[in-house]
Amino acid sequence: MLGLGKGAAGKYVSQRTQERVRRVAVILTALLVAVFVSIPVYVMIAIAFQPSVTTFRGGQVNLLFDSFTFDNFILLFTETGTPRYLFNSFVVTASSTLLATALSVAAGYGLTRFEFRGKTMAARAVLFAYMFSPIVLAIPLYVIFFSLNMLDSYFALTLALTGISAPFGIWLMWQYFQTVPVALEESAWIRGASRTRTLWEVVLPVARPGTIATAIFSFSVAWNDFTMARVVMSQNEMYPITVGASLFLDRVTIGWSETMAAAVLMSLPPFAIALFLQNYLLQGFNVGGLE
Amino acid sequence: MARPIRLDDVRKEYHTAGTTHVAVDDLSLEIPEGSFTTIVGPSGCGKTTTLRMIAGLETPISGTIHFGDRDVTEVRPQDRNAAMVFQSIALYPHMTVRENIAYGLKVAGVSKVERDAAVDEAAETLQISEQLEKMPAELSGGQQQRVALGSAFVQDPDVLLLDEPMSDLDAKLKAELRVEVQRLHQEMDATMVYVTHDQTEAMTMSDHVLLLEEGRLAQFAPPGDLFDCPVSQYVAEFIGTPSTNTLPATVEAGDHGPTIVGEQFEIPAPEPQFADRIGDSVTLGIRPQYLSPDEGDHRIRVIVNVVEQLGTEFVVHGTSVDGAHVNVVDENVGEAGADDELSVGFDAADAFVFDVDGETICHGDALGAARSASTSQ
Repeated sequence: MLGLGKGAAGKYVSQRTQERVRRVAVILTALLVAVFVSIPVYVMIAIAFQPSVTTFRGGQVNLLFDSFTFDNFILLFTETGTPRYLFNSFVVTASSTLLATALSVAAGYGLTRFEFRGKTMAARAVLFAYMFSPIVLAIPLYVIFFSLNMLDSYFALTLALTGISAPFGIWLMWQYFQTVPVALEESAWIRGASRTRTLWEVVLPVARPGTIATAIFSFSVAWNDFTMARVVMSQNEMYPITVGASLFLDRVTIGWSETMAAAVLMSLPPFAIALFLQNYLLQGFNVGGLE
Repeated sequence: MARPIRLDDVRKEYHTAGTTHVAVDDLSLEIPEGSFTTIVGPSGCGKTTTLRMIAGLETPISGTIHFGDRDVTEVRPQDRNAAMVFQSIALYPHMTVRENIAYGLKVAGVSKVERDAAVDEAAETLQISEQLEKMPAELSGGQQQRVALGSAFVQDPDVLLLDEPMSDLDAKLKAELRVEVQRLHQEMDATMVYVTHDQTEAMTMSDHVLLLEEGRLAQFAPPGDLFDCPVSQYVAEFIGTPSTNTLPATVEAGDHGPTIVGEQFEIPAPEPQFADRIGDSVTLGIRPQYLSPDEGDHRIRVIVNVVEQLGTEFVVHGTSVDGAHVNVVDENVGEAGADDELSVGFDAADAFVFDVDGETICHGDALGAARSASTSQ
């Protein structure tokens, strides 16, 4: 039986061929990333940091840097509601991230460590909730917040965003806590630490990568949200930057340059987080089986 | 301050998917204060469950557990003044070795200075002084288990519980740590309970061995008694390597009183125990160590299957001519090879006799006495 190597699953492929295939795959992936991620980011930066006169000189779009300016940003901050929008985004994102993470940690720990009636049902419900598209929840949530007279409030938007991010967070923490050996907790109890103290001093530090991954996920849901903000907020001064920036395009005085400047502003927080917390993010998601 | 541990009719059941599994079945015993007791048995016999109930990590469904005069059945694990070393070692990965060892003292509110002093002392005893500022992940398995022992040591517990602490270590480390554990026992004023499935650990380390069989007490006695005076065939076969040989036999009425008759042997049996067992099937148990090619009053012939050499000794795995599996441990069987026939002998004084239910009818001493009585007639 030529060609069937011992222990090989299927047809035998020489080491050399495998290496070649691997290299081609890496190059292809790199090309795809370059075309669909790096180039748009470059275009965004190029347009945002050059005067629009330069960008559109001679009736064409010039994407090579030959001048540099903050004018587009200055215009955003002086002529538009950008500062207010950014502030709204920060408030809502921070509170929703905190709330969703706290909820996920509590629920995930409970699902992992306690047996109760309907546990499997609860776990399924959580995953099912995660399958919903935000727009499915939008109208019902609008009705709820309307009847509670809570529209146009940070609190309502925080709750709505937490509703979207918490199911996945709970699921992630549930998976993560299962990797924390219960013997760590038992050892702390026997040494006299109460259940709460054990949670703070032993379980949470060990589960930190999972918690941070959950927080990052909640952050990105809240920061990038458009749908919920559009539904819950109806006053201009309550809009977050996503909704606010989309309104620029409707105004004659605002062009590509300013829109791209707003896009740069919006990209900064996620970029900073990805940069500083990427290790935690990878560790956290690895456990959830999402390599 | 070491305390005796008393279990009265302790019972634990687990319910899964409609079936009830009895893990510990009305267990009663008293572990003497300051003793080193090993709980041993095959997997699933309830030894870890018993230990976890003593620790307070599981609550019995009935029965009581006392530490000395204090009923701790319903007391939280936090309030039992026990320490426990886990099979999985259970060091906190985010704390240094020093913080790990001192954690219990920190919880108890001991000052930093006193904690450091206690940790340094424990580290010196366990030879891990160099490792104190490292993280647990940087240590080898043996060092990690030393750290776990150290944490138990600084706690000064009444009761120290060890749940198969060495099962993940290699043989050489085990031997080293066995010594370490015994030294700790001498230095600490604590009642130690040690769970293991390794009978070598049980037999070499402890003052008392508790052998469990499906959640019930099979025998609770000093190691030597378990070896020499097993109360049942189960105990005789579990304790000792290789396992005790068992040969089928019948009690018959002989000229000089009852006689145990097997395919290849006839052993006079003592009147008191055997007079009313004439005709009963019994099992003769004889340890491989007590079979020898050179000596013995009773001889059986064995077909050799495999010979293993263990240092100066040989272990012969064979089949007796009537089909029973027979192991022999001796220094002089080296000549025998596979398929050879080997004649081995034993003294009645070294044998056990079990009834059909596996209960011990008598130990060799009685058989030996019967022999000398009958031969003198």
